[in-house]
Amino acid sequence: MKRALNPRVLAAALFAALLAIWELTVRQAGISALVLPAPSAVVRTLWTTLGSGYLWPHIGATLAEMLLGLALGGAAGLAMGVALAESSLLDRMFKPYVVVSQVVPKLALAPLFVLWFGFGMLPTIVMTALICFFPLMENTLTGLGQVDPNRLQLFRMLGASRAQTLLRLKLPAGLPGILAGLRVAVVLALVGAVVGEFIGASRGLGAVIIAAQGMMDTPLMFAALTVIACIGLLCYQAALMLERRLLRPYADHS
Amino acid sequence: MSAVAAMPFLDIRGVSYGYPGRPAVVDGIDWRLEAGGFHCLVGRSGCGKTTLLKLAAGLLAPRSGRIVRADGTPAAPGPQLGYMFQAPTLLEWRRVIDNVLLPVSLQRRPLAADLDRARGLLDMLGLSGHAQHYPRQLSGGQQSRAALARALILEPALLLLDEPFAALDAITRGELQDDLMRMCRLRSTTVLFVTHDIGEAVYLGDRVGVMHRGRLVADIPVSLPAPRTPAMRHEAAFNQACARVFQAMTGDGP
Repeated sequence: MKRALNPRVLAAALFAALLAIWELTVRQAGISALVLPAPSAVVRTLWTTLGSGYLWPHIGATLAEMLLGLALGGAAGLAMGVALAESSLLDRMFKPYVVVSQVVPKLALAPLFVLWFGFGMLPTIVMTALICFFPLMENTLTGLGQVDPNRLQLFRMLGASRAQTLLRLKLPAGLPGILAGLRVAVVLALVGAVVGEFIGASRGLGAVIIAAQGMMDTPLMFAALTVIACIGLLCYQAALMLERRLLRPYADHS
Repeated sequence: MSAVAAMPFLDIRGVSYGYPGRPAVVDGIDWRLEAGGFHCLVGRSGCGKTTLLKLAAGLLAPRSGRIVRADGTPAAPGPQLGYMFQAPTLLEWRRVIDNVLLPVSLQRRPLAADLDRARGLLDMLGLSGHAQHYPRQLSGGQQSRAALARALILEPALLLLDEPFAALDAITRGELQDDLMRMCRLRSTTVLFVTHDIGEAVYLGDRVGVMHRGRLVADIPVSLPAPRTPAMRHEAAFNQACARVFQAMTGDGP
C-alpha cells in the first residue's frame, strides 16, 4: 500500500471514471450518436480522420491562424504597452481608444472582417491578433509601471540612457507580468481562431465543426473538439514551460 | 597640520530643500566633506538625512544654496559616485558578477581588466564562490556585499551610503562595517554614510554630523584611533563618543 496517492494518478483515474460513466450511460440509455456519441465512437472517428489525413490540414490551418494572430497581436500589444508606459502623452491620447476597442466584443466584428478581408485565413488572423493584443498591452503597461523606484534611481545615478533603462531594467523587471499576459493570450488565441473559423472559413477545426453540424456528424464534431482541447493544453503547457525557464533567476533559491 | 585648510572634497553651502507650503526637509545646511574622510550623518527617521544624501549625489537640486565639488562644479549624478541604498537593489535576473559590473556595462562593454577587478572585489568580500549565482540565491548579508562591490567597481572618489546595513543582523552588520572601512581606506575614498545607529556612526566615522528637523545641529569629530577594531566597541572612549552624539541628537548637546 502506498501511503500517499499521487495526485496525477488520481486525476487520471477521475478522467477514466468519467469516460467510463459516459460510455456506459450512452450504451445503457441507447442515446443516439447524433445527440451524444460514446467516447469509443469519438475515438474511432478521431482515429480514422487522423489516419486518412482529413483532419491534418485543418489542424494546420487552426494552428497557423492561432500562432500568427498571437505573434502579431502579442508583438503589437507589447509595443503599445511600452509606448504607453514610456510616454504619458501617448498614454492620455491613446488609452481611451484602446479601452473602447477592447470593450467592443471582437467576436461580434467577425462578420465585418469577412466583409473586409474575404473568406480565408486573414479575417481570423486579424481577429485573433486583436484578442491577443489586450492582455499583452495591459500586463506590459502594468509591469513597466511597477519598477522599484530605488532601482530607477540607481540607473539614473549610473548615468543610464532612457533606452538602457527600458531594455536593461524596466523590461526585465516587468518580464513576470508580461509572460503572465502571454499565457492568457495563448488561451484566448485558440478561442479566437476557432470562433473566427465558425464564421467565415473553409478550413480549420472551427470550419470542421460547422461542416460536421451540417452533415449531422456529431462524432466528428466531438473529434474536432478533442483536438482543440489537446492543442489548448499543449500550448498552455508550452507557455508555462517558457515562463518557468525564463523566470528561473527570479525565483527564490532556484 | 598645515596652516591652510585643504579644499574640501564636497562643500555643502547653505543648502535647503523642500516642497512649497511645507516646512523645509533640509534647512540651511553647511557642511564640508574632507577628501578621504569617513563622514557619518545620524538623526531620527524623517530628519532629512536621506534627502541631504540625495542632494549630495545630485539626484535632487537644492532649492537654495549650492553643493560644490573640489573642482568647483556642482554635484551631479554619474559613475564618479558610488551609491548604496537601504536595500541591496540588485537586479535579480542578472548573475552576481554582472550585477557588480553593471556600472561599467552601462558605459561600455566590460573589458578583461574590469572582470578582473570585479572578481578581485568579490574575493575581498568573501563572495568569490558566488560570482555565477543569481542574487536570490544569496543571503541578505551576501546581497549587501554584492551591492557594495557594485558601488566600488568604478573606484569612485565619493561613496554615498543610505543606511545600507540597517536590515542585517548585528554580527553580519559588524563584519560589513569592517569590510567597508577596509575597502575605503585602501582607496582613500571619501565617504558620506547615513545611519540612525549611533554606535555604527561612531565606529565608522572620522566625523559624525547630527541632523535634527532638517538642520545640522552638531559636527562631532571622533578621536578614536584608526584603524578601528571590533574590540574598541567595548572601550570607554567609544562609549563617551556615543554619549556625545546621543546628547546632540536629543537636543541637550552644544
